[in-house]
Order: sequence, then C-alpha cells, then structure tokens
Amino acid sequence: MLLDKTLQDIRIKVCSRCIYDERVDGIAFDEQGICNYCHMVDNLAKQYGTGEKTGEAILNRIVQEIKRAGRGKQYDCVIGVSGGTDSSYLVYLAKEWGLRPLAVHYDNTWNSAIATQNIRKVLSALDVDLYTYVIDNRESDDIFRSFFLAGVAEIEAATDLALAEVTYLAAWKYGVKYVLEGHSFVTEGISPLGRNYFDGKYIESVHRIYGKRPMKTYPLMTFSRFMWWSTVAKIRKIRPYWYISYSKEDARAFLERKYGWQYYGGHHLENRMTSFLHGIYLPEKFSRDFRNNTLSALVRNGKMSREAAWAEYNTPPNVESDLLAYFKKRLELSDVEYERIMNEPPKSWQDFATYKKRFEHLRPLFYMLAKGHLVPMSFYLKYCFPIKV
Amino acid sequence: MITIVDYGMGNLGSIMNMFKYIGVPAVATNDQDKISGAEKLLLPGVGAFDAAMLRINDSGLCPLLDRKVLEERTPVLGICLGMQLLTRSSEEGKMPGLGWISAVTKRFPATPGLKVPHMGWNVVAPTRESPLTRGLPEEARFYFVHSYYVQVDNEEDSILKTTHGIAFDAAIQHGNIYGAQFHPEKSHKFGMQLLENFARL
Amino acid sequence: MLRTRIIPALLLRNESLVKTLRFGKFTYVGDPCNTVRIFNELEVDELLFLDISATREGRSPNLKVLADIANECFMPLGYGGGIRSLSDAKAVFDIGFEKVAINSFAEEEPRIISELASHYGSQAVIASIDVKKNFWGHYQVRTCGGKHNVRRNPVEWARELESLGAGEILLTSIDREGTWDGFDVELVKSVADAVSIPVIAHGGAGRVEHIGEVVQQGGASAVALGSMVVFQKKGMGVLVNFPDERELRMALYSSV
Repeated sequence: MLLDKTLQDIRIKVCSRCIYDERVDGIAFDEQGICNYCHMVDNLAKQYGTGEKTGEAILNRIVQEIKRAGRGKQYDCVIGVSGGTDSSYLVYLAKEWGLRPLAVHYDNTWNSAIATQNIRKVLSALDVDLYTYVIDNRESDDIFRSFFLAGVAEIEAATDLALAEVTYLAAWKYGVKYVLEGHSFVTEGISPLGRNYFDGKYIESVHRIYGKRPMKTYPLMTFSRFMWWSTVAKIRKIRPYWYISYSKEDARAFLERKYGWQYYGGHHLENRMTSFLHGIYLPEKFSRDFRNNTLSALVRNGKMSREAAWAEYNTPPNVESDLLAYFKKRLELSDVEYERIMNEPPKSWQDFATYKKRFEHLRPLFYMLAKGHLVPMSFYLKYCFPIKV
Repeated sequence: MITIVDYGMGNLGSIMNMFKYIGVPAVATNDQDKISGAEKLLLPGVGAFDAAMLRINDSGLCPLLDRKVLEERTPVLGICLGMQLLTRSSEEGKMPGLGWISAVTKRFPATPGLKVPHMGWNVVAPTRESPLTRGLPEEARFYFVHSYYVQVDNEEDSILKTTHGIAFDAAIQHGNIYGAQFHPEKSHKFGMQLLENFARL
Repeated sequence: MLRTRIIPALLLRNESLVKTLRFGKFTYVGDPCNTVRIFNELEVDELLFLDISATREGRSPNLKVLADIANECFMPLGYGGGIRSLSDAKAVFDIGFEKVAINSFAEEEPRIISELASHYGSQAVIASIDVKKNFWGHYQVRTCGGKHNVRRNPVEWARELESLGAGEILLTSIDREGTWDGFDVELVKSVADAVSIPVIAHGGAGRVEHIGEVVQQGGASAVALGSMVVFQKKGMGVLVNFPDERELRMALYSSV
C-alpha cells in the first residue's frame, strides 16, 4: 500500500493539484489531470463564498438569526466538542461572536486524558457549560466488537452517528435551534463518496448479526428520528468554517498559547478507538489510509508541496505502543482471534442493510433540506446519489 | 535485569508492572540459581517484621543473600518492610533482621494528634546525594504506609529524610545496599525515576 | 508534612463506572480502565473503587475488572464491595490493591475487621460507614447500599471498628452524596474527634472550599471525591477531571 515516496517515480495516476490517486473511490480526472474532488472543493467554496466577503456576510446573517432565535433561552446554539482543534476553536469563535453555546460531548468510553483535559481547559476558560452523553462501556465495546467481527471499515460509525444524535438531543433538551459544526472542507477535503459510510440501519444490521448485548444506552439515530430532527424539530446545522477562512495550524497555535490546550500530534490520540482505526485497522486490513484527505487539503491550500505530502503519505503512521494490547483487552479478543479476523477478507457496508436506497429516492427532499441548513450539504452530496462502484 | 526476591510477602504485581512500564526487565523468584546469578536484587515486603524474617529464614535463601549482598556487593534495594528487614532488629518483633545496614527499626512514638500508621503522600528532602535519588525534583513526594521507621546509626547512610511527628529516614544507602521506606511502585512518576535510577546503577 | 489525601472515589456497577445521587438514581460515567488511565496521567494520589452492586446482589468482587484496573495503576488502590471473607480480601490484595473497605459485612460479622487487620495490617483495612439522618435528624448507620437501618450511632460504631483494628474510616453521608452542597462537617467532626485513626470524608464535595472546610473544621485526614471528579459542574456533563493543585493547596493550607 505504501508506495515510493518520490512522486516522479510513481506508475499510478495522481491528481496534478492534490495527492488523491487513482486508488481513491469514485475518482475521475479531467484533461489537466485535476481530480473531481478538487473541483468539488472549488465548487463548494464558490457556493459558500468561503473566505470572501460574501461568505462572511452570510455567516454574519446566520449568527444574528441564531441570537434572535435563542432569546430568552439558556443557550442559543450547541457545539459538539471532542477536545480537537476544530471544535475547540469553534467554541472560542462562538463566544467571540457573542453567542451563548452549550458544548456537547459523546463519550464512547475510549477517550484519552488529553481529550478530557483539552475540553476542560477550553470550556472553563470560556465559561461554557458541557452536556455529555456516556454510553454504557460494555455496550460500547459490544458495538465496536460487532463491527470488527463483521470485517467492515466503519468501526467508528457508531461514534459518528451517536455524536450527531446526542447533539440533537442536547439541542432539543434546551430548546436550541442551531448546531454549529467544526467541519471544514477546505482543511479536511471532501472524503470520497462511499468512504466511511454510516447510518442507523447499518449500525443496527451489523449489531443484530454480531452483537451480544442489547442496545439500551446507545443513542441510535433511526431514519424516523433523523427526519423528525430535520423536518419537525427543524434543528439547523451550520458549518462556520465553510464561510470564513480558517487555518488549522493558526487555530492550534492559538489554543496552545491561550488555554494550554495540547495537540495530539496528528495521530488521533484523543480517542483510542480513532487512533486504532487510523493507525492500525484501516492501513493493515483495508490498505486504506485517509491521511490523504488532510494532506491533499494542505496541498490545495498551498501549505505543503505535493512532493512533501506524497512522501509523508507513504510513510507508515505512528501508533501508541500499547494501543493494540489495549484494544484487544477491551474487546476481549485473544491474539489468535484478532489475527484471524484481521486476515479475513474485508467486507463493505454494501453487504449490509442500510438506508442508502431510501436516501437516494428522497433526493429532492434532501436537496431542499440541505438548502435550508436542516441537513449538511455534504450529506446530500454523499448519500443521495448512487455510488459508481 | 532486576531479580525480585519472592519470599511470599509483598505485592510483586505492582512492582513488576512499573518495571514493565519503564522498560526494565524484571523477574520475581525464590529460586536459588536465579538469585545466585542476579545482577541486581530487590527485596519487597508488606506486613509484619517477624513473619517476614521467618519466611526468609525458612526459604533457605539467607546464606545466599548474605553472600550476594555482603561479599559480591550485588546492588540490593529493600522496599517498605524490605528496608526495615535490612536493619538489625525491629521493635515490631523479636527476630533479628538481616543486619546488612547498621540501623534499627522503631515504632512511631505515641503522640497526641499523630496518626499511626504514617499513611499517605509525603515530601522527602535529600540528606546527601546518591545515585538512587538522582533527577528527583525538589518537591519529590512518595507514598508511605508504615507504623515503624528506620533509624540509621551513621548519618552518612541516610539519603532522604521526611517528617511525620519526627524526622526519619525515608531512604538509606550503605555502599551497594539501598532502602526505601515508601512504595516507589505506587508513587507514579517519582517512583519511576527512582526505579529507573536503580536499574541504571 | 503529610499531604491531605484527595481520593477520587469511583463507583462500579456491573463493570461500568457510574455516579449516584443520594445512593439512588445513577448516571453512566464510563469505562473503569480508561478512567484509571486518565487519573494516572493526572497523577492523582490514590484511587478508591466501590462496587455498589456487589452486596446488593449478594456476590463477591468482580476480579476480572479489578485485575484490569490494577495493572493500569501506579498509585495506591483501595476496593470495597461484597467482601465477606478473608479469601475474598486476599484475592483483591493479590491482584495489586493496597486496601480493602468493608461496610455491610462488618456489621454482620465484626470479627472480619480484626482478622483482616491481624493478617494484612490495619493500614490495609478501611471500615466504611454510610450515614443517613433519620426523621428526627439523628445520624444513623445504614448498610446494603443505604437500605438497612442497623440502628447504630456512627460515633459509637466508629469507635468499635477502631478497637477491632480498622486502619481508617471511610465516612459517607448518604444525604449529601451527589449534591455538591458540601460535606456534612458536623458528622465528620463527631467521628474524627472520637477516634485516633484517619477519617476519610465522603459525600457532598462541590467546590475546593468544601475540601478545606471538612479538613480544617471537621478534622478529616483525607477526602474522597465523587461527583466533582466525574462531572464538569453540578448538573452538567460527564468529564473526568481533578481539582487544580494550586487551588487545593490554597484551600487546604491557608489558615482558618
């Protein structure tokens, strides 16, 4: 999977602008060799006026609207926090804009001390309250285990979806109509279609087959709940970094200086399951390495040369030394079982029942909802179109 | 390689865990051959003085240990009760100790307001320099839990002191013989520094 | 000088960590091992694990969970919950715990305290007393997770436990637990004045000032924290944390 570090010597096709190569799902190259993902980022930037006066003006209007809608309530917006750069900085920005955020955290019980410390430092310095949803640790492990046994890549699907559901739950509890998300297509790139798929039915299907404990504390977002949140509760999702210019490096330096916030070093050490996913699971079992997401983004933004990004992409990732032992211990896997499952051929989300077809059928509806900020535009782009395999 | 003398008293699991964490190979044994070939020895101990001395005597390891420590000058570290065993006697019991260091073990005086056992984290101060305590910060603290304390005959054998009602020796050294009254394996980063120092002697 | 011990007291319920309010309603806090790792990194002085479901369900300690916890920890560990015999205690010590806490069983069979003390030393034995005020405002000792009123006065019971050989007393106020309103200083003082062994105050801490109060006015030798170390603030989300060192020093060592 790791190739020669020098771009010139490569036999496969690599985008002339970023470093996505032909192995990326759903990729296509134009006459200049630029990939469709670069174009997607450009289009989104144009649409949202990212970093331009137009973008700032739009965001400003949204912020005023959030304030108006939140009058008389304890909080006017909800922000999901993980202890990471994007969400931590977003809390700071929200306060700067005069908003009254409630921070929300979904604890899958695999957090590292750095994550909890970062959350604590930033929130106490900014005087922001925290709502946490903690799943029963045994249930959490059972769900992770199911995905591991199923042999699919989306071992973190349950966490991602739970965070979305929990953010809605917190917003609902306090009568808040707006959720701010720290996603940035500029710094993270657009993850290819079909990569990291997650929806409620998928999680349920995998768990039904491989799980042992009933799901009692896991906050499952079923289709009807998703519809309810977006069409009845009408909770809107805003991604400020889509409108304004945002530099992850500058944000990081600021957080370190101002709050004593600590950087994990890019190795996802904020959560041990994420660390396992990116450092061991994806590279070893699926020959997949999503580092090209952020690396491509850095290249597109002129922060890194293509050559340097490619070289880094083809260097093995760093992993905490006892991470694997911890993983096996928590999921109660013997060394033998672990090896056996890792060596089994990988499966895909398409081998399980999901809501994909339903999302595709309801494309026009989701287009409207995306326009109204009731579902993220990236959700519309990724989930509502058929996948070319 | 640290050879931990397993005479049946003392929590070896935690000590082994800390050595593992700091990357120092260690083995717990009561086997004559293994102890004979040991590069460094560790004498653990939790419980009563006499009970420990009885077990050590019964194990038949005494002559071997005396030879290793007194003749071959193998570095040895006694922890908690293990440090008290290094002395010649204890007010806790009737049996003689190993007598490797010129010292006695005494009970804390019954003073109003002084809670015995001395239990908890306490700050230590260096009496003199020693390879065992190298690199410890100024306000180093360790976890103590004991009702008896050691008093060395010669002040130069004292390397760390602490106070609990009275000032007493928290750590001692006489040549290759070391003792720590506290539990390094329960004193997180401070204990790790100490055990690393011992491993590097 | 001995530092006042500030001990996170973590409640185990069927292999998960939880937090209760007045011994009743509980909230999930997370995974025991992962939480220990966090406290390791925060370099706390000592940890206490109390299995609140063991006695109620009539079972002995969950050794597997305890072993997992012990091999992550580089500080003193205490455990309480469902210990009813010397062999139960031995199993826990062998795993790597320094101390055991006995609560309900000490009331049934007080000699367990002396047996444990003579075998392992008093310093390894914590006598745990849960106290609730009755209708008339009198303090009464309760066992089995607060369910049984054993009609004993905490001061007398503490004296008896001391004479049996307990090394320290863990004194928990059921009324204050999980409330963030402060320790029951009066209760702590009455017991601390009556015994010469250390008393660990437990139940009610909400601010660092409470810790200072119960130590200076109540005579507590140590303090166990529950809600304060697992929640961000009163009524808010779970966030494993530990009070800031400087704030603690100010609260504890400033003159009254």
